[in-house]
Parts: sequence; structure tokens; C-alpha cells
Amino acid sequence: MIKLEGVTKVYDDVTVAVKNVTLDIAKGEFVFLVGPSGSGKSTIIRLLLRQEPPTEGEIWVAGKHLNKLPSWKVPLLRRSMGTVFQDFKLLPNKTVYENVAFALEVIGRPKHVIQAQVPQVLRLVDLATKADRMPQQLSGGEQQRVSIARAFVNRPLILFADEPTGNLDPGTSVGIMRLLDRINRTGTTVVMATHDHAIVDAMRRRVVALQRGAVVRDERGGVYQESAAPVASPAEDESGE
Amino acid sequence: MRFQYILTNTTQGIRRNPLVVASAVLVVFVMLSLVFGAILVRWSINEDLTVWTQGVRVIAYLSDELEGDEVTSLQNQIASWEGVEEVIFFSKSEALEEAREFLASDHPDALAIIEEDPSILPTSLRIKPTEAADYKEIRDRILVMPGVAKVRVAEEAIDKLVKRSQQWSLFAMWIGFVIGAAAVVLIANTIRMAVWARREELAIMKLVGAGNWYVRLPFLLEGFFEGLVGAALAIGVIIVAHQGIIELLQTSLDSEAVELGGVFLWTRSLAVLFFGAAAGVAGAAFGMVGLLRD
Repeated sequence: MIKLEGVTKVYDDVTVAVKNVTLDIAKGEFVFLVGPSGSGKSTIIRLLLRQEPPTEGEIWVAGKHLNKLPSWKVPLLRRSMGTVFQDFKLLPNKTVYENVAFALEVIGRPKHVIQAQVPQVLRLVDLATKADRMPQQLSGGEQQRVSIARAFVNRPLILFADEPTGNLDPGTSVGIMRLLDRINRTGTTVVMATHDHAIVDAMRRRVVALQRGAVVRDERGGVYQESAAPVASPAEDESGE
Repeated sequence: MRFQYILTNTTQGIRRNPLVVASAVLVVFVMLSLVFGAILVRWSINEDLTVWTQGVRVIAYLSDELEGDEVTSLQNQIASWEGVEEVIFFSKSEALEEAREFLASDHPDALAIIEEDPSILPTSLRIKPTEAADYKEIRDRILVMPGVAKVRVAEEAIDKLVKRSQQWSLFAMWIGFVIGAAAVVLIANTIRMAVWARREELAIMKLVGAGNWYVRLPFLLEGFFEGLVGAALAIGVIIVAHQGIIELLQTSLDSEAVELGGVFLWTRSLAVLFFGAAAGVAGAAFGMVGLLRD
């Protein structure tokens, strides 16, 4: 589903944000990208969204070779992805319903599809009763659920979440993680950048740890802190199991 | 759904920044009024030139020794030249009539001398060039013809008119170019501000997979609208005020005011409308450069 081969991203010929990253993420996986601020988590997500090109290396997402993807095909690629951000990125002048419907409107979905899918996804995130509220009338956790609903309403193959619990209290964060887990169980691949130890430790999913742009650990069922075990690739893990 | 969404977005964009949009429309209006004015000035000069040059004749005074059929032969020969529209023979009696017309009031003494012996007036061929500017070539060819005693043309007046027409055309062209560029830059700036104001929304649109044209079209339509409305206002004002402008212009040029033809006005109005809309779209496209990257 996602493949990075020797990917490096350098800004202004000086700042190395991502250094020789090779990563393979299968369909339906839930992967945490962990590491301190500036470790390259968000840059990897931007590269996977084709918001920026890599300086070196090759990237494949949903069967598309991003290095060779013409810019006019990027919107089509994005329709197979959903994105959730730490700051929610909701439109303040639109209601909850309109914010979610917006994702379908701008890709030209017909009205009857929007009318069917939006209430459905709002029920999934438990916001059906607040469809007419404005974002500023919602709590942080609710706003993030709207953001997840918007990312998921088009049933994407992959969901990218960049620090989705960064602005939320621990209790609310658990609710958001349950929601992402539920979405993952529908078959959607989830890639989440975070530095929330508690969440990573509780979920026990694949953990890709980054430091100064390089992968220092790739572990299935991992935790946030580096274990005593040496760096092992998932393939080696599987062969060892 | 898509079309409706684009239209809604365009009108929302306009409603969101009414003052910015109004300023763009007003400046386009002022600029296109000047362009349209320049077109009228150019047209007026051309019209003036046409009126003047319709009377342009190269006058070839003929030697008295020429026989009737030699004159006819000369007349036919000149008429067959390229660039010659018409050749009219002026007999001595016609020359006398003309002299009476021109000299009676201001130079009665001169007329009295002529009246005493009308035979001193030469016969002549009055040659009308197809293009006023061609008179020199015609004059030079006639000068060397046998039987032609003298050639006269209103050279200075023609040269002045041609030169003035060319200068005005060039001036109008430059004004149009500079004003057009300014209009494009202004609309570009307006659209840039609109894109900047909506950058969050646009970033989300791009992230959820909105097509490039889908994102750009409302802004292009906004630019189109600004250019079109500015041009329409300019046309309205010029149509109302054009006769006054022409009269003012022609008073300063010391010539007769002429009526503006309906066809002329409508074709130029359409051209100005097209230019306004095109400048709006071009400005909008220019304004989006670098702001709507992936």
C-alpha cells in the first residue's frame, strides 16, 4: 500500500528532514510514526501526500509511483487518502454537516451521495445530533471527530493522522484512538504520527521510530520507548515468528 | 452540482471582500474608459483625415500646346496607374469658375486680371490617389510626363495629417498597452488577496482531492467578473459621453465634429468588453501563480 525506498528530504540544501528512509506498509496496517519534534514524522506524511517531492529515493502510495505522478493526477491520488491534523483544520463558517459534506462536494460527488454518506459517517463518529453546530460550539475532541469524519467520508484506502491527539486531553485522546482503530478495522490503512507515549503503548501496533530523519526502529506490536531488542524490520519479525 | 458549487464559491468570494472587488472594478472601469477614449481619439483622427483627404487632388497643369486627344490619352494613362482612383479633366472655363469661387471675396484684383484674359488659366488634370499618402509617387511620375507644365499638391497639409494620425495611433496603442498591463496587475493583486484570505479552505480542498481547475475556476470567474463589470461601466459612460468628447476633441483640432457610427461603437464596445474580461481572467491566473501549489 505504501512503500518508501531510500527516501531523503533536504530543505534549502542544508536541513536534512528525512534521511534514507526505507519503509513498507501493507494494506490494512496501523502504523505509528514516533519520535521527538523535528524527527521527520510530519515530513514523511507530507511526502506521502505528495505535498512535496523527495530529494532522493522513490515513493509508492496506493499503487502510484509518486515520483512519476503528474501534478494533474495528484487530486485523484488524494481521493484515496484521508488526512487528520492536530489543529483539526475545520472551516469555521461551515456547520459540522457542511464541513464533512465539503470533502465530497469539492470532488464532485452528486447531492444524493452526499446526503446518504454524511449522516452515516457522522453516526460513526457519534456526532449525528450535532450536525448543525458550528465548529467553535464543539469541544476539541468533537472537532477532531468532525475532522476524522471528513477524512473518512470518502472511504479512503489510507488515513494519515498527524498528531491527531496533540491538542487533546488523555481521556479524549482515547476516544479518538478508538475511532481510528474502528476505521482501521474496516480495512483502511492508518499511518499516524505522534509523540504520545501512552497511546502508542496502549495500542501495541507497529511502531516506526524516527530520530533526526532516520528510522531507528521498526517494530510490530511495539511501544513508544526503544526496547532492548535491536532494530528489526517487520519482515525479519515475521520470519522470526 | 459542480457548476453550482463553483458559481456559489465565486459569488461568496465576491461577497466576502466587496470593497476589494469594488476597487478592482472601479480601476478597470477608469482604465478601460481611458482605453475606449483613446480608441475614439484614434478613430476621430482617422475620420478627420478621411474628410480632408477625400478632397486631396494632385493637380497637373497642362501645357496649352496639348491637343484634345493628347489630353485624353494622358488622362487615360494616369488613370491606369496603380494607386490612382480618379482623374478628372478641368477645362479653362471650369478653372475660371473655380477661380471666381476662391478669389471673388478675398482677392478681387487678381480675379479682375483673370477675367480680362481667362486664357491665362491652364487646363489641368485633377488626380485623386487611392491612399492620401501615395501622392508623392504620383506627383513624381507626372512631373516627367510630356505636356505637363507644373504639378501642385497640398503637401504640407497632407504630411501633417498623416504624421499626426500616426502619432495619435502610436500614442493610443501605448496608452492601451500600459493601461491594460496595469489592469491585469491590479486584478492579479485582488485575486491574490482573495486566495490568501481563503488559504485554509483551499488547502483543505486540495487535501481532500479537489481538482486543480475546481480550485482555480472560482477565482478565474471572479477575475472575469471584475474585468467584465469594469468594462461594461466604461462602455456605458463612453456611450453616454462620447459625442461631447468628440466635439471637444475636434474643436481642439479645428475641424468638424462627426457623428459616431452605430456599428463602430458596438464593435468597439464588444472589443472593450472582451478586453476587460480577458484582462480579468489573465490577472486572476497571474494572481494565483505560486499560491495554489500541491
